[in-house]
Amino acid sequence: PDWGALEAVDGVRLSWNVWPNSRMEAQKCVVPFGALVTPRKVLPEMPVVPYDPVRCKGCAACLNPYARVDFNAKLWICPFCYTRNHFPQHYASISETNLPAELFPTYTTIEYQLQRPAASPPAYMFVVDVCLIEEELGALKQSLTQALSLLPENASVGLITYGTHVHVHELGFDECPKSYVFRGSKEFTSQQIQDQLFRSTGGARPRPGQQQTNGAAVTGHQSKFLVPLADCEFQLTSVLEELSRDSFSALPDCRPARCTGTAVAVAATLLASSVSNTPARAMLFVGGPATDGGGQVVGKELETAMRSHKDIAKGAAPFMTKATKYYETVATQLCTNGHCLDVFACSLDQVGLAEMKVCAEKTGGMVVLAESFANTVFKTSFARMFTTEGEDALGVSSGGVFEVITSRDVKTAGCVGPCAALDKKTLPGAIADVPVGSGGTTAWKLCSLSNDTSLAVFFEPANRGDGKDGTQTAPQQQSQQFFLQFVTMCTVPSGETRLRVTTTTRRWTEGANVNDIAAGFDQEAGAALIARQLTWKMETEDEFDCPAATRWLDRSLIRLCQRFGDYRKDDPASFQLMPQFSIYPQFMFNLRRSQFVQVFNNSPDETAYYRMILWRENVLNSLVMIQPTLMAYSFNGPPEPVLLDVCSIAPDRILVLDAYFSVVIFHGQTIAQWRKANYQEQPEHEAFKQLLEAPKADAQEILGRRFPVPRLVDCDQHGSQARFLLAKLNPSATYNSAGMGGGSSDIIFTDDVSLQVFMEHLKRLAVAS
Amino acid sequence: GGSMGDHGADPSQFPRPGDDVPVPNSELSCDPRYLRLTVNALPANQALKQRFALPIGCMVRPLIPGEKVPTAQFGSTGIVRCRRCRTYVNPFVHFIDGGRRFRCNVCQLPNEVPVDYFCTLDANGTRRDIAERPELRHGTVEFIASQEYMVRPPMPPTYFFAFDVSANAVSSGFLAKAVNTVKETLDELPGGERTHVGFLTYDNAIHFYGLKPGSITPQMMVVAELDDPFCPAPEDLLVNLGDSRGAVNALLDMLPSAFAATSQVDSCMGPAVQAAYMAMNHIGGKLMMFQCTLPSLGQGRLLNRGDDHRNAGTDKEHLERAPADPFFKKMAAECSRQQICVDIFATASPYGDLASLSTLCRYTGGQLYHYPGFRPERDGLKLWNELRHNLTRFTAWEAVCRVRCSKGFRVSSFNGHFFVRSMDLLALPATNADAAHAVQIAHDEQLPTGSVSYLQCALLYTNADGERRIRVHTMAVPVVPDIAYMFRSIDGGAMSAFLTRLAVERALTARLQDAREFMQLKLSQSMREFRLLNTSAARAFNCLIFPDRMRLVPLFTLCAAKSAALRGQTRDVNVDERIHSIYEIMSAPTEAILRRLYPAMYALHVMPPEAGFPNQAGAIVMPPRTVLAGERVDARGAYLVDDGRHCLLWLGKMLDHGFLNAVFGAQGPPKPDVDFEPTLVEGIQLSKQVCGVIGEIRRRAANGCHCTLTVIRQGDPSEALLFPLLVEDRGAGGAGAMSYADFL
Ligand SMILES: [Zn+2]
Ligand SMILES: [Zn+2]
Repeated sequence: PDWGALEAVDGVRLSWNVWPNSRMEAQKCVVPFGALVTPRKVLPEMPVVPYDPVRCKGCAACLNPYARVDFNAKLWICPFCYTRNHFPQHYASISETNLPAELFPTYTTIEYQLQRPAASPPAYMFVVDVCLIEEELGALKQSLTQALSLLPENASVGLITYGTHVHVHELGFDECPKSYVFRGSKEFTSQQIQDQLFRSTGGARPRPGQQQTNGAAVTGHQSKFLVPLADCEFQLTSVLEELSRDSFSALPDCRPARCTGTAVAVAATLLASSVSNTPARAMLFVGGPATDGGGQVVGKELETAMRSHKDIAKGAAPFMTKATKYYETVATQLCTNGHCLDVFACSLDQVGLAEMKVCAEKTGGMVVLAESFANTVFKTSFARMFTTEGEDALGVSSGGVFEVITSRDVKTAGCVGPCAALDKKTLPGAIADVPVGSGGTTAWKLCSLSNDTSLAVFFEPANRGDGKDGTQTAPQQQSQQFFLQFVTMCTVPSGETRLRVTTTTRRWTEGANVNDIAAGFDQEAGAALIARQLTWKMETEDEFDCPAATRWLDRSLIRLCQRFGDYRKDDPASFQLMPQFSIYPQFMFNLRRSQFVQVFNNSPDETAYYRMILWRENVLNSLVMIQPTLMAYSFNGPPEPVLLDVCSIAPDRILVLDAYFSVVIFHGQTIAQWRKANYQEQPEHEAFKQLLEAPKADAQEILGRRFPVPRLVDCDQHGSQARFLLAKLNPSATYNSAGMGGGSSDIIFTDDVSLQVFMEHLKRLAVAS
Repeated sequence: GGSMGDHGADPSQFPRPGDDVPVPNSELSCDPRYLRLTVNALPANQALKQRFALPIGCMVRPLIPGEKVPTAQFGSTGIVRCRRCRTYVNPFVHFIDGGRRFRCNVCQLPNEVPVDYFCTLDANGTRRDIAERPELRHGTVEFIASQEYMVRPPMPPTYFFAFDVSANAVSSGFLAKAVNTVKETLDELPGGERTHVGFLTYDNAIHFYGLKPGSITPQMMVVAELDDPFCPAPEDLLVNLGDSRGAVNALLDMLPSAFAATSQVDSCMGPAVQAAYMAMNHIGGKLMMFQCTLPSLGQGRLLNRGDDHRNAGTDKEHLERAPADPFFKKMAAECSRQQICVDIFATASPYGDLASLSTLCRYTGGQLYHYPGFRPERDGLKLWNELRHNLTRFTAWEAVCRVRCSKGFRVSSFNGHFFVRSMDLLALPATNADAAHAVQIAHDEQLPTGSVSYLQCALLYTNADGERRIRVHTMAVPVVPDIAYMFRSIDGGAMSAFLTRLAVERALTARLQDAREFMQLKLSQSMREFRLLNTSAARAFNCLIFPDRMRLVPLFTLCAAKSAALRGQTRDVNVDERIHSIYEIMSAPTEAILRRLYPAMYALHVMPPEAGFPNQAGAIVMPPRTVLAGERVDARGAYLVDDGRHCLLWLGKMLDHGFLNAVFGAQGPPKPDVDFEPTLVEGIQLSKQVCGVIGEIRRRAANGCHCTLTVIRQGDPSEALLFPLLVEDRGAGGAGAMSYADFL
């Protein structure tokens, strides 16, 4: 079956599409039962209706095509909990021929345009590092100024700059540039921050618990810091123009005093007290590590290095625990108020993203990691945040709540994605005992989400009948099916409040019926889900380090092969995997070697970054991250996908590697020489020119649709940049195997086993008795 | 008036003060305006001093306005001083050994004369180069200090302005007036290209201003962390005025309007002082605080204790005149250490706890200005003139002052505004010609040798051009074993001023009554001694017997007891007003104190024709003075009363209308809440005279003060302002006070 086609209808993909009907059998399936849901996926066929949904009084599920309707009695029976619900009054005219859209069999996904006043655009609080070098600050100022031109005039904006101290700029003050200054080296409580900001402005303080339900109601003294762009554009532009590096200079042999954490806390509190419960983003621009105040990640002395994964593993990262805790507090405050933190970390050094990521992750904030603010990765990505129309638009929605409703024999185990758990436990037995990811609830908050945001939801099939309470029994034909409903409410960029309901159904089967179960396996979704489960464990479980994760992956794969393989005991040559699993081992091979598991080649910041992006992407993009794609361009024919293997390298080929975070255009030796000789500029070599341009165009196409924008590497065989390609290739020819003849390919100097060796080991272990 | 005849004396013949002009005691001694002794002779022994009873002290005023002081140059060996007692070379040293050595006049030690200071002597033992040696010819001389007198490069003239911008400051118009005055005075600040300025404002938070050189926009930075204020920027808070003039101008233009709409009533003065301190302590300079309300936030916040008279008359009475919070003294000590002098312009009314605030000025050698309930029409001109005077006058920066005495004597105590460092060194972060100090002289363990003793005062300071200079005053004083000589040598003016200074200082730590009694006790002890000396004369005339030189002292002590600083009980004078008065007296030179104690009263309706016009020497002729007694005041008259700080123009009920027209014109006399500025009407003699007299009074006003002129009319409630000034009357000093005649 084409699982991708199903995804195109509902934005949902399940690892298993046929579920064994007992818990014990389910455990033998190894790969978790889960779904990757893209709740704001653009679905051209999806109907949008201008009313509120009808919800089941028993389980709050929305009325859907799977409900059994009694047109005479004006009743519907909930497929989730079998509750009989009367239709509301305005559904009185309902009949077989007069169905509301949500009952149309094809409308398994429907969106309600809720009857709410349009929300104003989100407030933007720019939090700008001024410890940057002159060129970096210049580039950043340019991007910020450009962003202002992209924002709607009625969007509220604010500016915080930080270095040694935090400056909160009062954009509503006309007489001269004015800022409130917080001592950078100090940790402030939210109350202290409020007191300093709002005591000083001379007005009444916001009462605790006072909520502003209307987004437009930003009034009084608070508006001094968050001002509609139309009213402060001049002031803000001139402040940005005048913005200079932190006037306190760093001590000799020291990093500059940079109080990133204090700045973020001030931003969070300012938003909380100014625009509570209306959408707002704090956008953090950071160009180096926090060296002072709450959230400090490294000492000022340059001789003390930033923590590495090794330091963390050894417990030699003295600031880590405290900083992480600090940012958790800030994240909680942001979540509570429905605000998010975006992080634009542009630095050659680490900035402490590993510590602060919780603020972005739990709030759905965007994160972009780049080497410089002058870099396209940052510039283009940042600009796209403000694009609201056309293909480029990210479709940034806010104030999201994502709810999962399941049939009674299905328990929700948790979610891994850019969200924060809400405490929702509506129905007894709906939640699995053992959480996977962020669990203990059936609803999550998404302070910010884009059209591509994808959540991994994990389930646990219960023993059939476990969920029954005896009062109502399932009608026969429905008992063969189970249902999952994903309900996502949020404010979309236009200001409307939308509620999307996706109801999907799958089939139970006898646990022993391995073929039936295997037929429903989506190995791509399975790989994506296991990657999220694995990284979640690595993030949250101290003991689950890289070797442990590798062992866990290997053991799972062996168990899976044992379950779904065809072999004779102790005869590796006889081993045959079912076709639905054909490429799954290769995904696992690449996942093992990927940046998600092999942390030691990366900094903790990079690891944090990669995992955050993994946690928000859909199945296909996740797979690209796990197992990059490689395309070959040559004179011999149209571009073709080739093996992700060193043997794909050839002197007369151009390779394009899409490793998601980077796109590498790799010119074979001969091509590179020709290019150096500028053949492409000679009219008689038009074909060569075209050959050079095709990969470029394709790479640009990838860059154009991805967020954050990947880094583009243009390199030649044997050039220094070629390592970006070689690192991702299967080391089929390493120095270990060179003696056996690696063909004309390059040799990868690595101790990694090759895919072939890996597969042989796997077969041997799978068949071992 | 007092009853006549009781003493068989005619009050009209009582001694009354005229203009007080001291005379030098020796050709080589410094002008007595610099060093003015209460007695121009020192007692040879302790017993004599005991008998004499009155204090032996010196009013020390290292700088006087409008002076010209000779400058002495030394060669590479540096300034010549006695190697034992560190006395500076002066006209009284004695060159011996053909000029190779000099004997120190203070400690008698023979010192080697440095090679490049050597000069042969003439037949009289005088150096042949005496004509080119001002330090050997003048009691007052200035030395250019060498490197050894500098612990750091000389500082530039530095002014840091801190404006209270709370609602009071804004609505009263004080902020606008003060800011405008500063703005219009910028070009006249001393120091030329070296001058530095900085600004901050404060209400319930501190507002710093970044004044980047070359920029035309100030950058305002608010620090609300009052418990622990800090500098939000490492530079551009205290800037070279020339380099940052654009931003400074923009800031001063903007300040009044930026806070025009404020509703903030709080004022965090303490943290603001700390903040200013942090912004300027790397240089030092003058910190000018403009405070309009009781400090209410942060360290140094104060409570209103102005109406609490529970302790009146008890031994805790003085507490209302003592600082409520040690913060201000601690801060003052820190400022002094960093060469910061604090001036305060205070307007809170009725209570701003000047007792606490003044501590800042007191220990930093600063000045306290008081404009209670500031109103532009009454106080605007005063603020303008006084602030301008403060900013433009000659200022000596990062100064220290020391007074040395010859063997047998020592300086035993100090009275005035400064911080005493290392026993006898007065630290004066910034000082000027308006300030005077007082020191008491006591006997040392050893007895004085010889019949002449010397006092030398040295002021080491930096001038506006960045020159380090030492101002040295030397004075010779006879040492006498005879009490009659002592009495003959009394300087009545200096003695009165000195006693008053001691008494008002005492009022800060004792009951008012104790302070007043202190003066009278000293006076009567001394009288008794004098009478013993002159028993026959006393018996013969059955009348008052005073040493001639001291005849005015009783009147002045009576006036002192009736002054705002000392009179009555606690509730008789607003405590802020009392503190301000004490404060001014404690730093004032002799003549200002005397003028204040016994104001000058002039009858303007009967002026001689030359009054108000310059005489041949160019000095304005003043009308004759009238006795300060109610009985002498005529309802047909117009009287001008001047205490050196404030003028009253009293208009009798039966005053001639011609006078009113000539002086006030068609609109008539102004209300008493206005500072009257007479307009000159051409062709009218009386108008010219009155303008001339008032102009002269204002010109002479003590200590750079602007004399406000209040016009009051007989019978109006405002007439009450006059009564305390009629010091000879019984009623002037509050309940139970004596008239001059009673007192005598
Ligand atoms: Zn239901
Ligand atoms: Zn000596």
